[in-house]
Amino acid sequence: MLSGAIGGKKMIQRNQPVLLERTMKMKQATNVEEYQHYQGFAGLLKAIEMDKETILAELDLAHLRGRGGAAFPLGKKWRHLYGAKGDTKYIVCNADEGEPGTFKDKALLEHDPLSVIEGMIIAGFLFSAKAGYIYMRGEYLRIQKIFQEALDNAEKAGFLGENILGIEGFNYKITIISGAGAYVCGENSALLNSIEGKTGRPRVKPPHLADVGLYLKPTLVNNVESFAGIPVILREGGQAYRDLGTEDGGGTKLICLSGHIKNRGLYEVNLGIPLKEILYSEEYGGGSSTGRPLKFIHFGGQSGPIGAVRNLEECIYSYEGLWDHDLAIGSGAIVVMDDQVNIVDYLVSVAAFFAHESCGKCTPCRLGTTRILELLEKFTTRSAAPEDLERLEKMLMHVTNLSACGLGQSVANPMKSGLRYFPEEFEAGIQTAVGSVKGGGW
Amino acid sequence: MGSLSLAEKEAIILAHDTDPQRILNMLIAIQYASEEGYIDEETAKLVAERLHLSQARVYEILSFYAILKTEPQARYVLKICNSTPCLFTRGAMLAEVLETILEVPADQATPDGLFMYHSIPCIGACDQGPVIKIKDTVFGDLTEAKVYQLIDDLRNGCYQEL
Repeated sequence: MLSGAIGGKKMIQRNQPVLLERTMKMKQATNVEEYQHYQGFAGLLKAIEMDKETILAELDLAHLRGRGGAAFPLGKKWRHLYGAKGDTKYIVCNADEGEPGTFKDKALLEHDPLSVIEGMIIAGFLFSAKAGYIYMRGEYLRIQKIFQEALDNAEKAGFLGENILGIEGFNYKITIISGAGAYVCGENSALLNSIEGKTGRPRVKPPHLADVGLYLKPTLVNNVESFAGIPVILREGGQAYRDLGTEDGGGTKLICLSGHIKNRGLYEVNLGIPLKEILYSEEYGGGSSTGRPLKFIHFGGQSGPIGAVRNLEECIYSYEGLWDHDLAIGSGAIVVMDDQVNIVDYLVSVAAFFAHESCGKCTPCRLGTTRILELLEKFTTRSAAPEDLERLEKMLMHVTNLSACGLGQSVANPMKSGLRYFPEEFEAGIQTAVGSVKGGGW
Repeated sequence: MGSLSLAEKEAIILAHDTDPQRILNMLIAIQYASEEGYIDEETAKLVAERLHLSQARVYEILSFYAILKTEPQARYVLKICNSTPCLFTRGAMLAEVLETILEVPADQATPDGLFMYHSIPCIGACDQGPVIKIKDTVFGDLTEAKVYQLIDDLRNGCYQEL
């Protein structure tokens, strides 16, 4: 774990875990007084003294990229909403963490809920919103209760409700909406439909949600980890936050290590740390858990790209560092597999996930995910025809280009990298023997 | 049957301010509190009526969201994570072991109505895989022996609260 001093007027240190340090110190995560003791609400108190344009400037400077996976600069998104027409604006926190290999939001929601709430209150203040929502996945029921307790405590202490902090007309409340086991609701427009009490299927975009969002009003949707970063930015300043990361993406990042790695778990790292250190140093991954060499890494969730460990010797874990290798940080998931895992077997499981989770609204995704799964399965049973390789590539292209939302558009990412780095394992699945025909012909 | 009474269901709806935005919160709360772990037609009608929604809308929601069930479930429903981080760290054995112990295929209740198991995608416990989840409780770092133990414990009523 990283170490770093807390409290006082000390500047934040480069290796300071600004998101997790409070979770290690607080005895009761929902206690407002204790939260304030560890600099809680300092960001909000600063924000309400600031000019709104200055807040936006600090956010731009901080260069926080959206932590849900899309990596869109948060400053730009907030500016877009700030400029959107309309008096009623909604603030929504996407806590539908369902990306396999990801368990970071859970930690914040459970162990430091007030930091997420503080980020949402700052957004409420900036956009003069009356209502905020946090959409939390149905699998996190227990955490929903903890979060509700934190909301109640914040309201009792005057940080939510009517005339917050004595500011006339600053009325803002946050409601928890439960998900119920639909991965696609992590897609922001599907999530808004779900809040409206509908089935969670994505909307056609544009319009942008910042113009036409919840109940057709301008809406801000950000991830849990993004909201938790906001108080840090306002408290410490945009530049200090940016310095925690790199020029192209400020701050620290929560990463989730899983798979064949010795120290599986949640860590907070500075963006810009060598990937090697994450994988092998005792402080983080600690190397292979199986005694076998590590073979590939699946980044950022099931829809993320896969990298071959042999190519990542010099890779830096930052937004641009991973982009240089055609990889992406995504949600922060780092699923590591050893050399005993066949890439096609792995991808069959990934494809099965998408075939299961496709919402069915648009045909390319509904049928395409099933076709991809069927094709991949042929390679695992050595029954693929030589032309199936080309067919698979075409299918991947179609699903990517024709699907309506981010789910379908990103299904092909891991398959494409699998084909690129381990083509021989696909070729081995092609039927070469001259077999007898079973069950007759046509 | 030990199902919830009308008053208990109404209390859950009221606890959520009869707010249609929170229909999923309500349905999950009712389902988890009910003995048979599903939303029956009568309950669906009640929720529709109280929230001023059509029955078709409530049924659409019940059929869309994986956590919500429209058929009676076993007393203990064991959910196995089948996403890649768990599946490839010995998670694949869970379904086999459960089939051996319980002698029923996935999604089918044991004759005594006590157990049922099926696979679900990631539950966010990837650092503890292989895992089984029952309602909101996660059993992690499982081995074959631990699965046998868990079933024994459940049979012996060690987890009445689940």
